[in-house]
Amino acid sequence: MTTAVPMMARIGIDVGGTFTDLVAAVPERGLVVHHKEPSTPADPSRAVADGLAAILAQADLRPEEIGGITHGTTIGLNAIIQRRGARIALVVTEGYRDILEIGRSRMPSSFDLYAGKEEPLVPRDRIIEISARLSPGGVPVSSPDAAELDRVAARLRATGADAAAVLVLHGYTDPAFEEDVAAGLRDRLPELPLMASATVWPEVREYERALVACLNAYIQPLMRDYFGRLESRVRALGVPAPIFISASNGGSMSLRSAAERPIETVLSGPAAGVAAAARLGMGAIVTFDMGGTSSDIAVTVNGSPELATHTTVGGLPLIVPVVAVSAIGAGGGSVVWVDGQSVLKVGPESAGAEPGPVAYGRGGDRPAVTDCYLVTGMIDPATFLGGRMRLDADAAAKSLTDIATRLSGHVDTRLGAGAGPGAGLSAEDGAAGAAHRAAAGALRVATAGMATELQKIMAQRGLDPRRFTLVPFGGAGPTHAAMLAEEVGITHIVVPPTAATFCALGAAGADLRRDFARSLRRRLDPASAARLSGVLAELSDQAQAWLTEQSAAGAGFTAVRSGRGFGARLSHSADMRYAGQAYELRVALDPARLDVEAISEAFHAEHERLYGFRDQHAPIELGTARLGVVGPVAELPSATVPPGTGTPAPHGRRQVLLAGAWHAADVHLRSALGVGDAFDGPAIVEQDDTTVVVPPGWSGNVDGTGNLHLRRSRKG
Amino acid sequence: MRLDPVTLEIVGNRLSALTEEMCLTLQRTSRSLYVKETADFCCAFAGLDGGFVAYPRGIGVSGFVGLNLLEAVRRAEPLEPGDVIITNDPYRSGGLATHLTDIQVIEPYFHEGAVVGYGWAFIHCSDIGGRVPSSLSPINDEIYQEGLQIPPVKLVRAGEPSRDVEALIAANSRTPEANLGDFRAMLAALRTGRERLAGVIAQHGVDTVLAAQDDLVAYTAGKARAALSRLDDGTYRFVDYLDDDAVSSIPVRLSVTATLDAGNLHLDFTGTDPQVAAAFNIATLGKPHAWITTRVLALICTLDPGIALNSGLIQPISVTTPEGSLVNPVRPAAVGVRHASASRVNDAVGGALGLAAPEILPAASSGLVVPVVVAELQNVQVLEPMVGGTGARDGADGVDGRDSGISNLSNNPVETVETEIGVEILRYGLRTDSGGAGRWRGGCGLELTFRVLEDGSKLLARGLERLCFRPWGVRGGGPGEPTELIVNPGTPRERRHLKIDVLPLERGDVVTLLTSGAGGYGDPYTRDPAAVLRDVERGVVSREAAAREYGVWLNDLANDLADGLAVDEAATAAARLIDRREGFGFGPERQAWESVFDIGTVDRLVAGLFRLPPPARGPRRTALYNAVLRELPGDFPRTAPTPDQLDTARRTLTKEIVALEGAV
Repeated sequence: MTTAVPMMARIGIDVGGTFTDLVAAVPERGLVVHHKEPSTPADPSRAVADGLAAILAQADLRPEEIGGITHGTTIGLNAIIQRRGARIALVVTEGYRDILEIGRSRMPSSFDLYAGKEEPLVPRDRIIEISARLSPGGVPVSSPDAAELDRVAARLRATGADAAAVLVLHGYTDPAFEEDVAAGLRDRLPELPLMASATVWPEVREYERALVACLNAYIQPLMRDYFGRLESRVRALGVPAPIFISASNGGSMSLRSAAERPIETVLSGPAAGVAAAARLGMGAIVTFDMGGTSSDIAVTVNGSPELATHTTVGGLPLIVPVVAVSAIGAGGGSVVWVDGQSVLKVGPESAGAEPGPVAYGRGGDRPAVTDCYLVTGMIDPATFLGGRMRLDADAAAKSLTDIATRLSGHVDTRLGAGAGPGAGLSAEDGAAGAAHRAAAGALRVATAGMATELQKIMAQRGLDPRRFTLVPFGGAGPTHAAMLAEEVGITHIVVPPTAATFCALGAAGADLRRDFARSLRRRLDPASAARLSGVLAELSDQAQAWLTEQSAAGAGFTAVRSGRGFGARLSHSADMRYAGQAYELRVALDPARLDVEAISEAFHAEHERLYGFRDQHAPIELGTARLGVVGPVAELPSATVPPGTGTPAPHGRRQVLLAGAWHAADVHLRSALGVGDAFDGPAIVEQDDTTVVVPPGWSGNVDGTGNLHLRRSRKG
Repeated sequence: MRLDPVTLEIVGNRLSALTEEMCLTLQRTSRSLYVKETADFCCAFAGLDGGFVAYPRGIGVSGFVGLNLLEAVRRAEPLEPGDVIITNDPYRSGGLATHLTDIQVIEPYFHEGAVVGYGWAFIHCSDIGGRVPSSLSPINDEIYQEGLQIPPVKLVRAGEPSRDVEALIAANSRTPEANLGDFRAMLAALRTGRERLAGVIAQHGVDTVLAAQDDLVAYTAGKARAALSRLDDGTYRFVDYLDDDAVSSIPVRLSVTATLDAGNLHLDFTGTDPQVAAAFNIATLGKPHAWITTRVLALICTLDPGIALNSGLIQPISVTTPEGSLVNPVRPAAVGVRHASASRVNDAVGGALGLAAPEILPAASSGLVVPVVVAELQNVQVLEPMVGGTGARDGADGVDGRDSGISNLSNNPVETVETEIGVEILRYGLRTDSGGAGRWRGGCGLELTFRVLEDGSKLLARGLERLCFRPWGVRGGGPGEPTELIVNPGTPRERRHLKIDVLPLERGDVVTLLTSGAGGYGDPYTRDPAAVLRDVERGVVSREAAAREYGVWLNDLANDLADGLAVDEAATAAARLIDRREGFGFGPERQAWESVFDIGTVDRLVAGLFRLPPPARGPRRTALYNAVLRELPGDFPRTAPTPDQLDTARRTLTKEIVALEGAV
């Protein structure tokens, strides 16, 4: 796409617990600059502003040269998890005061006599019933008169709530009706922010829709405050550029949109890395984010991350589309233990950062996965995290020897016995040998657990992991990636340059994106197909309007400025099922062919792809119409990596226990690898924030943008 | 164990993931009302002995992990690759099927010509024929009325679907299309299992997979014993009652004597009433069957949350179930509504184990699962699967309005229910003051009130229970409120119902179902007054009940919010100067009942009945009880007898028992 004005610089910001990472991308100069600023958890905007000032100086940019700033925040998410949001109230159709208490009725666990239920977001004494109800067909069954509105407003005032949500039964069939009720209450309580559920998210299912509205109300005051502080700090630096906020769907939105609909930003943290990986342009990828407590995967098939509409946040179901991130098992801090029956277990308990793995020397006395990396030589006690943290290898080894002992009689004769990996270890004697075998065993357990979950998740989507590229990040992702890849048959891994830069750069380059939905719930026939077509056209208008509004705020984004439809990409889909099925399938639709025949064929084909059969004669039901809009931003320059020699000289060499045997592995420094450099495993690549393990049978090479590719060349 | 502890953990995880994947396939492709509405389905992987080796967690019906496929497999042998066995016959499948609407399928999984395990799936189908739509009614008195009985036969033979079997089944159901959809969903699940198992074998080898079958079960059994050994050894007895058998008003007694011995548990059901001429019987075939061991499994999994689910869970459990009793009926006893009895077995087992470990076991949960079904001419829908709350326990209140004791059901969005059938749901919420009082309060029951919008509608509500005998509290805790079913409440046309079969409704009728609350734990006069205040503020306990049940008096706050309240410390202290309450809180109905029919006397009665030939037991029992009940108030035990009535009734009872014993 060509642009009328020169592209201005963009800033991406990734706020972590310890550091706030900033990236300035300056397309005119082909420059990417990275800056690390200590985070300020009490008010994250302080580190953002300080970092912004620093990176401007570092990149030699004037404030007015910045075209846009994008950043995500976890303030909303934390407030939900810790139940520290606003004091909110809920106004609900008469008879439904317990909508949040009953929820979907299921308990978190069926075989647990002690299972409790989640803490409701709004306590029962702040839920007020109102005489307002629609029929399933959208006809008013009862409408509140002035006296009823007076009564409810008085009760609402008495709750002392800071914000409130309104839910009318069947409100999704006519969002204007619910909005009228809200308006009637707003007239009486002008100070109280009130949001109507169907305005926020017009999807069928009263409990889930109520939650979207409640969650939005719950975090809105906090988020508005934060955005206000952020904006004033940025303006104080003389930066006039618009600010964009990362969204849970992997895109971004204007500050104003985010303040109106903060619920759409709460899961932006996990989404950001996935969205950044999707921008690598590697085709079908699985991201693998392995942090301290767990590891998560997400799937990207056609350049945009797969979205989910059934997730949970703080124990509550969330139906707005978010990047589908699934937990698959252990993280670096997951505890290695032996149960009462002498079986080796990894997790789910985590040692976290405090006390952390035994090797951290912070009082942790139970070995974690990171201790296993250390004992097997995969990570170096001296260079872990760029040498910022010294590790105690002896303590780690001792704790794993204890594990071996607790595996009782199994340890010497059985752990690693047979033909499997570890067989070559049985000759090793003594405590060191025992620790090595325990560590290798624990890593096998952790890897198999992840692989099992990964395969299950992909199989549900009808996908074969062997056709995917694995993109690892997070502190332990690149360390564990090849082990996981071997287990699931993946043969290509791409390790992006330092993860911090990667995520911040991903934010800077994030597309504008929003998702829209509207429930229909009709049998598929010519009339409903026409209705679907109409609804999608309506949603498409809304989407265009939204994008225009973003662009009004958004100078500097070429895509937004270039006129003609803003280069918007629209994706049309509908949730459908065979009549009587419990679950709907999301089916992508061609907006040019929305006749019954095309719609049914799209559904039959998807059903067959996923479940192996179609039922040509069964009636089909249309559920919710969906539309996604993406306002793409132009390509950003990549971080620049100098050319290499082709055959990099190793920085050193060490013994690493890989695939059941000790190997002398070359150790490379990521910072010393240049474009075109290639090497064979067994090898180790150390970088500031992680260690990449390259097993025997794998080779590595650096592409033109600094990504490190690992390819499986032969059976290891 | 034959496998090393690393391989065992890995293969175990692989196999349980396989079963979860089977469930996901089934759940997403099925069109059955019950899969959709109540998650009444499951899939698992069984070893060569027919016991489950791997069972899904968090999806499907959790309680069936103790079932065994072997009898069904034996009856369908010889098997070849591509065969799929189908059955729904409890008596011919060794108790695998537990009522006729649960359609079971089994596929032998082969590797190089030899069976290496079995895939299993079941779905509660919408209808399998019989006397009433949806096949299930409490008043069916023989299994023949409950639908088509399918002994273990081949639904698929060497990969070729048997059109004969399909046609026969289709001709006997009111919902042949939906059933066919269910079969397809189950076959898809079995295929998923087969493919995944092949993957596990390819990776780990067939010998490892076979060895894992034994090791995994032994591993879980060891953990189960370790969990049970945390309870004090000894023998503990508890008795509970079904309100009645729906065809008479005579309560049905369940007796459990639990003996704990170093991690092994024996459950002796001697003293339980004979099988009934209604659909409440549980066909256990004398085994430690799923429906009589659920509470023990839940206890084991509570004490060891990480335990792998497989047949090892029931290895520590043995049972004595007298043949011809409610918990081991003989053919052709009807079994359709066995889950109502299973709820009560759960309570009785929980009560007995609570005597062994009062700090671990909770008070009785609400103890019912009632799918409220409305049928129109061409349309049958579950409005909501109604449950109550969970019992309070040491240190925690019960859960209000949710209970996963028998199965962990999802409810239905009202917005979808009202789209699918002509009702308007007026209220779906917690039932104030229904949870048993206690230091820890029992969970509240629920209210469902709906208006019927169409003529010719019918109401079905199997599983109605605790209409008379309340969910009990423990250690001084009070019982929950009993269940009520009212049509047109508060109008001149108000009607109160007990258990119903099929209740015709008119357009404009309003139906209210109030489910029972759960039992409380500990003396309510020791409950923190601030917790009582909070309950009143939240509206789950009324101000009157706070004073009456908890001795907590509240004052209006003059200068605060309109409805601000505070504890009146002085009045509360004064009100609480009474003797502490201890022991079980059964409620007045059970006290009245046992003032006539005490446990020891009824032991003699039941023993006498069991000495009669099986066909004579039911009629004799009915006649005997009726003779005694004639001496008592019409709505006994809801109304307590006068001393004279009591005296007469006791004498009649003794006379009847002597006659019974003489007759034998």
